[in-house]
Amino acid sequence: MAFRSHVLVCAGTGCVSCGSFDLGAALEREIASRGLADEIQVVRTGCQGFCAEGPVLVVQPDEVFYCGLKTSDVATLVEEHLLKGRPVRKLMYTPPSAPAPVPKLSQIPFFAKQKLVVLRNRGLVDPERIDDYIARDGYEALAKAVTELTPEEIIREIKLSGLRGRGGGGFPTGVKWATCRQAALHRGVEPVIVCNADEGDPGAFMDRSIIESDPHAVIEGMAIGARAIGARQGFVYIRHEYPIARERLAKALDQARDYGLLGRGILGTKFDFDISVVQGAGAFVCGESTALMASLEGKAGEPRAKYIHTVEYGYKNLPTNLNNVETWANVPLIISRGAAWFASMGSGDVSENPWNGSSGTKVFSLVGKVNNTGLIEVPMGITLREIIFGIGGGIPRGRAFKAVQTGGPSGGCLPATHLDMPVDFDSLTAAGSMMGSGGMIVMDDQTCMVDVARYFIAFLTEESCGKCIPCREGLRCSLDVLTRITEGKGEEGDIALLEEMGAVMQDACLCALGSSAPNPVMSTLRYFRDEYEAHVRERRCPAGVCKALITYTIDQALCDGCHACVTACSTGAITGQVKYPHQLNQSLCIKCGACLDACKRNAVLRA
Amino acid sequence: MKLVKVTIDGIRTEAEDRTPLVQVAQKIGVKIPTLCHHPLVEPYGVCRICTVEVHMRGRVRLVTACNYPVTDGIEVFTQTDRVRRTRKLILEWLLARCGHVPLLNTLAAEYGITEPRFGRGDDTCILCGLCVRVCSDVVGAHALGFFNRGTTRYVGTPYDEPSDRCIACGACVEVCPTGCITMDDEVEQIRGELPLGPMTAIYIPTMQAVPHQPVIDYDSCIHFKTDACRVCAAVCEAKAIDHGQQDRREEIQVGSIIVATGFQPVDPQKVPQYGFGRYPNVVTALQVEHMVNASGPTNGQVLLKDGSRPQSVGIIHCVGSRDKNTHEYCSRVCCMYSLKLAHLVHERSGAKVYNFYIDMRSAGKGYEEFYNHLLEEGCEFIRGRVAEVSDWAVTPAEQGKLVIRVEDTLAGLVRRIPVDMVVLSTGLEAREDADEVRRLFNMSCSSEGWFLERHPKLAPVSTFTDGVFIAGCAQGPKDIPDTVAQAGAAAAEALALIDTGQVELEAYTAWIDEERCSGCQICVPLCPFSAIEFSREKKVSTLNEALCKGCGTCVAACPSHAAQQHHFTDAQIMTEIEGVLVR
Ligand SMILES: Cc1cc2nc3c(=O)[nH]c(=O)nc-3n(C[C@H](O)[C@H](O)[C@H](O)COP(=O)(O)O)c2cc1C
Ligand code: SF4
Ligand code: SF4
Ligand code: FES
Ligand code: FES
Repeated sequence: MAFRSHVLVCAGTGCVSCGSFDLGAALEREIASRGLADEIQVVRTGCQGFCAEGPVLVVQPDEVFYCGLKTSDVATLVEEHLLKGRPVRKLMYTPPSAPAPVPKLSQIPFFAKQKLVVLRNRGLVDPERIDDYIARDGYEALAKAVTELTPEEIIREIKLSGLRGRGGGGFPTGVKWATCRQAALHRGVEPVIVCNADEGDPGAFMDRSIIESDPHAVIEGMAIGARAIGARQGFVYIRHEYPIARERLAKALDQARDYGLLGRGILGTKFDFDISVVQGAGAFVCGESTALMASLEGKAGEPRAKYIHTVEYGYKNLPTNLNNVETWANVPLIISRGAAWFASMGSGDVSENPWNGSSGTKVFSLVGKVNNTGLIEVPMGITLREIIFGIGGGIPRGRAFKAVQTGGPSGGCLPATHLDMPVDFDSLTAAGSMMGSGGMIVMDDQTCMVDVARYFIAFLTEESCGKCIPCREGLRCSLDVLTRITEGKGEEGDIALLEEMGAVMQDACLCALGSSAPNPVMSTLRYFRDEYEAHVRERRCPAGVCKALITYTIDQALCDGCHACVTACSTGAITGQVKYPHQLNQSLCIKCGACLDACKRNAVLRA
Repeated sequence: MKLVKVTIDGIRTEAEDRTPLVQVAQKIGVKIPTLCHHPLVEPYGVCRICTVEVHMRGRVRLVTACNYPVTDGIEVFTQTDRVRRTRKLILEWLLARCGHVPLLNTLAAEYGITEPRFGRGDDTCILCGLCVRVCSDVVGAHALGFFNRGTTRYVGTPYDEPSDRCIACGACVEVCPTGCITMDDEVEQIRGELPLGPMTAIYIPTMQAVPHQPVIDYDSCIHFKTDACRVCAAVCEAKAIDHGQQDRREEIQVGSIIVATGFQPVDPQKVPQYGFGRYPNVVTALQVEHMVNASGPTNGQVLLKDGSRPQSVGIIHCVGSRDKNTHEYCSRVCCMYSLKLAHLVHERSGAKVYNFYIDMRSAGKGYEEFYNHLLEEGCEFIRGRVAEVSDWAVTPAEQGKLVIRVEDTLAGLVRRIPVDMVVLSTGLEAREDADEVRRLFNMSCSSEGWFLERHPKLAPVSTFTDGVFIAGCAQGPKDIPDTVAQAGAAAAEALALIDTGQVELEAYTAWIDEERCSGCQICVPLCPFSAIEFSREKKVSTLNEALCKGCGTCVAACPSHAAQQHHFTDAQIMTEIEGVLVR
């Protein structure tokens, strides 16, 4: 039955937590009560990317985007837009500093500048219906891979596309597949493939969104990989905290089995392959390949030395090919549209050697001090400026950009001078940061870089598995030194000590968690050394963040005794008669800064 | 096996492809420090102290030598600035955690650390995991594990409770590089028994053991508890160890037998007033013998249970001999071995030694002289049977000592002598199973259980069974020279038999007609020479003509007339009778 119109309600985790299930149900009730049930269909999609504005929905084919909806808006929406055909302006999205709302999705800057490859189906298919996926050419690539291509041809195609691992390391996927296939053939054993959906970086939700919005893309990618590598068994190692993603994935796997796209004799050929879903053990380090495989085997998720590669001896000592969710999701399009199409996106020339550039797109979770936060997909090589100011809409409240942290907790912070740097694997690494799995945290001028470094080191100290000494003890000692500096107790020589510890950790740690852990310190030392020096030598926090180093005072000349600060202060540190300048008692002040925000006359000073 | 070329600190060498680097270095004498490595467990690579620099095809990187597999053409440097900087900082980090572990401080000194920049912590465990790995991978007990993560990680047992999987083998204590694991008191007690037993589960029973080969003690071998370990098999280059071996019975056909089954020492607890088993420092002479053995558990030292040296030692003679309550006979050897021990104990520990004797029996060549020598050495001899050993102190000098109460029959007074250690010179008695052995060979026993010779003077090593001879303490208490002499005699007798090759038997032996034998087995116990056996297979009795003396008991007893005797068959006797009657 053809519907006149579709209402695509986001059912990603962000929107669900803002009540999109209730919203969808209310919509269906309202539509039915208006007798439109035969004409209009409500579809629940995966994350549409603009989570900060959730719950969101799109009305198709009009392509009108609504956001920040409440169930109380449903009646208006149905009556006005769906019944009378008059889009509701007050429920639409207004970009910051724009004069009027923008009705069409494709005209909203946040969406307009993105390039959707991995997220091609986002907001367009119901992730729980395989037919939706197939209708958008899904499983065509798998059919081609099993019926037209030999394993070697598939691997050649992936190599030529220049696809590099999206899980962080950026290792060329085709090369990894080839090594794994060779190792298995050489030893005469059956290889295993694994999808890494552990996504432990705080604030990152790329992989979750991909699985939630388009699980079949991952399944199809894995099936193609299995065919190329020669595997019959696959695992998805998925984070424990992702119940929706897990549920959708399980449903999708069942549907694929029903359709003969998984299991024995796929598409009537002799190719057998199936996938099991394994729940993660709940530690950041379990995303690391050797730890993940230990965890898959039911052991404690701790890394081991990698002098023997997991593509040769991995899960249960079988050759094991591990790829990230996004890496797998890229595979079907490369096979159906060809390596050349994929390589045409991105930076560098990968036709000879995948190490020579970064092709394709990359999904980022854009968060922090930026107007439009959410999930974005951009071509590799785009500049940081285009992402932060173009898609992200710049820094809120007109503040100045200070730094952007990329690559997850063990990534680095890049300053404004790097805004025009292309975002690709090698540029980021050269600049002292990394691609990581695609976290991107924007910071404004009210951020103290020493404090930021301390924050990430504290996170990593928590997450270190504690197996090897340089990581466990090195992080602890680094954290002690950083804490000392932010508390104004830094000593001359601390900066050099941090650098020395960082260098040794990079050299000596057992796994990449430890060896990349110094990045936050090393990159902030590289670009914001003066801030460290100010903390240590002048006992001053230039950004006014480190509490031990700031004092609040009230400018007696400016204060007009409005009493706003007195109400704001939770400890009663400010006293004074209305209409007379107020006093601040330092011994009670906990330096929360509430008075500063409350004062309309800028009479509260921070130094 | 593929050989590859490796250069370490400029020294060229060859090694099997993929050998761990640390092994290659060790072979050519290049020292690389290690903390988490032990040859018995798989490399773990977590302390990172073994970091070295590897140059390969223009690429330089730091690797850990304990688990890095060597490949062709690598060049290794173990002392570059970068390596030393890494090791130094690792040591400082370790000291920040475990500041007072001697091993770490020694290493730190090598890297010029005097004042570690992060201070000194009070922990002792560096989390190298050797204990955990040895317990699960080698011992197979799986009693230890890691708990928590990151900086709060620690080694322990599940729920921090004493683990019932721990078999108290002490392997973790052995491998811990920092010495931070110790044995619990309770467990220590169990091990306290060990110094007087075999030191390990695999050992050569005695220095003179024949064959001179180690045996495995089933009860203390870890393999039979956890199915793991097999460390001995791993280190045995001859691949001689087979844990799957089973006991088996073997039948050997022989022409003569020498019974030399020996004696057993009297159980000292049969003389309860001497406190054996109650006071840890009351020991038997055999245990002291074990201690004074240079290759024994204490390396030849005489030690008290707490590991210290005794100041004074009392040796009580005739424990279980010359006593109505135990054995009335004299065990013959105790006087002399007590003198020997008195001499050795004094020599090894410098302790004052008292001998408590009833009569000094030092008959034999050179024995009396040895006794005199001891008198000169300052050994005290007190004549009188000891009444009691106790820890009941009356005077301050007796505090914490064992007090020996004795009537000194020479001085005519009752004395209390405080000592640190009491040695019981236990007598010899016939083995528990002597009676079974006696029956097996159809020998006789004295009332004390010693096997009887056919004639004390004319046939001292023969028995009433032809071809069975006796030697040594099985026949009666005697010392080593006497035993050896007697054994020689028994061997000569046996050889004489063997040498004839054939034994001539009297012709009038009995025989059993198998057709007639009903298998009632009446004859079997009746035969005084144990010549008849019942064959389970054929279900009839069979007769060993070599043992049969032709007494005819079985012939008379057999209800089915199956047992018959050559020259004395029924027919022959009847004919003889007829002959007599005809005349
Ligand atoms: C501490 C640590 C955490 C990691 N976490 C993840 C993760 O959550 N997801 C992921 O895909 N890769 C993660 N990785 C990277 C993986 O080890 C591995 O490189 C990746 O899954 C390989 O897939 P790719 O080649 O497709 O990138 C992590 C690595 C480290 C060192
Ligand atoms: S580097 Fe850190 S996370 Fe990795 S093994 Fe060492 S302690 Fe564990
Ligand atoms: S207790 Fe000893 S052996 Fe066990 S991890 Fe700690 S330092 Fe290593
Ligand atoms: S969850 Fe709805 S837009 Fe991301
Ligand atoms: S000895 Fe090599 S890492 Fe510990």
